Amino acid sequence: MRPVSPKLRKFARRLLALETSGKAAEAGGSAAFQVSEKLRGPLSTLAGVAGFRSLLSRALALATGEVRWLTAVQVKRDGSLECLEDIRAKLSPREVAEGEAVLIGQLVGLLVTFIGETLTIRLIQEAWPEISARDLISETEKDHG
Amino acid sequence: MAKKAKPTGGQPTGKAASRSDKVEIRKLPTGVPGFDEILGGGLPEFSFNILAGGPGCGKTTMAHQFIFANATPERPALYFTILGESAIKMLRYQQQYTFFDPAKLNGAIRFINLSQVVLEKDLNDVLNEIIKEVEAANPAIVVVDSFRTALRKRTEVTEIEVQFFVQQLALHLTSWEATTFLIGEYVDAEVQENPVFTVADGVIWLSQVIERNSVVRKLQIIKLRGVSSVPGLHTFRISEDGLQAFSRTMGLAQRRGRPSRRPRLSIGIPELDDMMGGGIPQGDSLLVAGASGTGKSVIGTQFIAEGLKHGEPGIMAVFEERPEDVVRRAKHVGQDLETAEREGKLKLLYLRPLDLSVDESLQAILDSVKELSAKRLVIDSLVGFEMALAPGFRTDFRESLYRMMATLTNTGVTVLSTVELDESFTEFRFSHYMVSFLADDIVRLRYVDIDGVLRRIVTVIKMRDSDHSKDIREYEITRKGVVLTGRRLNEYRALITGIPAYWKRSWPMEDPLK
Repeated sequence: MRPVSPKLRKFARRLLALETSGKAAEAGGSAAFQVSEKLRGPLSTLAGVAGFRSLLSRALALATGEVRWLTAVQVKRDGSLECLEDIRAKLSPREVAEGEAVLIGQLVGLLVTFIGETLTIRLIQEAWPEISARDLISETEKDHG
Repeated sequence: MAKKAKPTGGQPTGKAASRSDKVEIRKLPTGVPGFDEILGGGLPEFSFNILAGGPGCGKTTMAHQFIFANATPERPALYFTILGESAIKMLRYQQQYTFFDPAKLNGAIRFINLSQVVLEKDLNDVLNEIIKEVEAANPAIVVVDSFRTALRKRTEVTEIEVQFFVQQLALHLTSWEATTFLIGEYVDAEVQENPVFTVADGVIWLSQVIERNSVVRKLQIIKLRGVSSVPGLHTFRISEDGLQAFSRTMGLAQRRGRPSRRPRLSIGIPELDDMMGGGIPQGDSLLVAGASGTGKSVIGTQFIAEGLKHGEPGIMAVFEERPEDVVRRAKHVGQDLETAEREGKLKLLYLRPLDLSVDESLQAILDSVKELSAKRLVIDSLVGFEMALAPGFRTDFRESLYRMMATLTNTGVTVLSTVELDESFTEFRFSHYMVSFLADDIVRLRYVDIDGVLRRIVTVIKMRDSDHSKDIREYEITRKGVVLTGRRLNEYRALITGIPAYWKRSWPMEDPLK
């Protein structure tokens, strides 16, 4: 399995922070679920529900190789995420945050692999207009550089 | 007594509307170089078009070029994808083209995937989904790719239902002032029967024709309401810039007359200039024909070099030799092409792929002529040119040459083409292709056997609209290029057969040149 790069992980944390800033994670959910849910809109419009679901499933499979507890997470038919609550309840906040960053990092990484950084950022900007092109491009350039 | 008819005062008379009464149909640029000319100026605004053809023909790429050329944030393009290529993959590949501008994505250009609706619901829902998105976005352009998939899945729907669906779609998209492309994979026979083609304002057909090992791409405007498009099959190429189309009537439409008195250009060989009546009339097409080794390319080089001496930029389109070989060979006859090329006064165009079309070659030459404001052009040689073409184009090479020469000379450039002939000692041919009619002027080179020595002779066969010498002169190829030697060979008869007879004396033959 391909581990998510530190820079993509950092970028994912940024998205997670933007999503949770000033508000607690929705009851029964997580920041990663909210980020994924927010990306589901523009990505399903572009690639279809099935297209988004397959991307997210791949990202989850890659992330599971790094973070074992993510095996408790599943992608539902409509492309949303669900997690076995009893497993999550046993995890520390740090473990949850780490797993979420890896999952979102893998999803963003897949997009970068397929359509490149510029188009990826344009898609992400639909959900978070405050994200600038520099955020991702500089991160991934450093990764490859 | 019959009343005299009075002139009407500017009101419609009920007869045919005058030009000013007609609605003006704006034409949108397609973003495909050369295609607007074929369409008669561009794609009619608000038209409902089918972009059809087999897989890999370039349909999606053409649609992308169109949307990237026209979409704006205020009047965006909506690109509906159905069950064809995945949108993610499509973006992955399409962004490789130079026309792809990522800044337009999700602003001026929006991709919407309809596969779920197509799979789970009926045609009415598909229509409603498109209408909903169109009403929300107010797009100038709508693309449905692949439209065929939306219909193919529904085996249970009748032809009437399909026609109704297409009519409703066309009606709605036109009412919302959108120019539409429906992309689909169709076969030729369907044009006659498929109701979609009846409803469409325009049908653009892309195809790939395989000839031996070569593939040639062609496009045809089967139908286009409201404009005069150029009929017939036009070649196109797909490169990193996307599609580029080459009209089969390229440049012929704007044919201009030649002035009655034109300056003459020196060919770089003073005695040959004299034989031609003072050089080549500017804008003429001169054919230099002869066997291998007779110096055709040398004459072409001298013609270009002479122009460069007088500040006239030149183009050499070479098919048989590499540019560096041309430069090296020119040095052997005392001509420095390297400096001129470096200074941008000369361009050596090396056109040698084996699947070229005449139109592509012509476009490359025309672009170079324009770029350098060239006054002189050498095509060396027509035989090499023919070999560089895809086999499918060789069959109508003669017609293509006619179009090419007409188009090139129409630009005002003076063209010298060489053509290699198999030397025959029984006849005196001008070219392989019976193309002598397309040349304004013809110079024929050939070998003759005089007293057991193979020598070279030159004669001017034809100078259109002007007098010329009928002499047959001997020449040599020296370190200074082609040089005419001696006087007219008037002691021989049957020189043009290659085996002349000395007619002033009986055997043994005496050589008058000595």
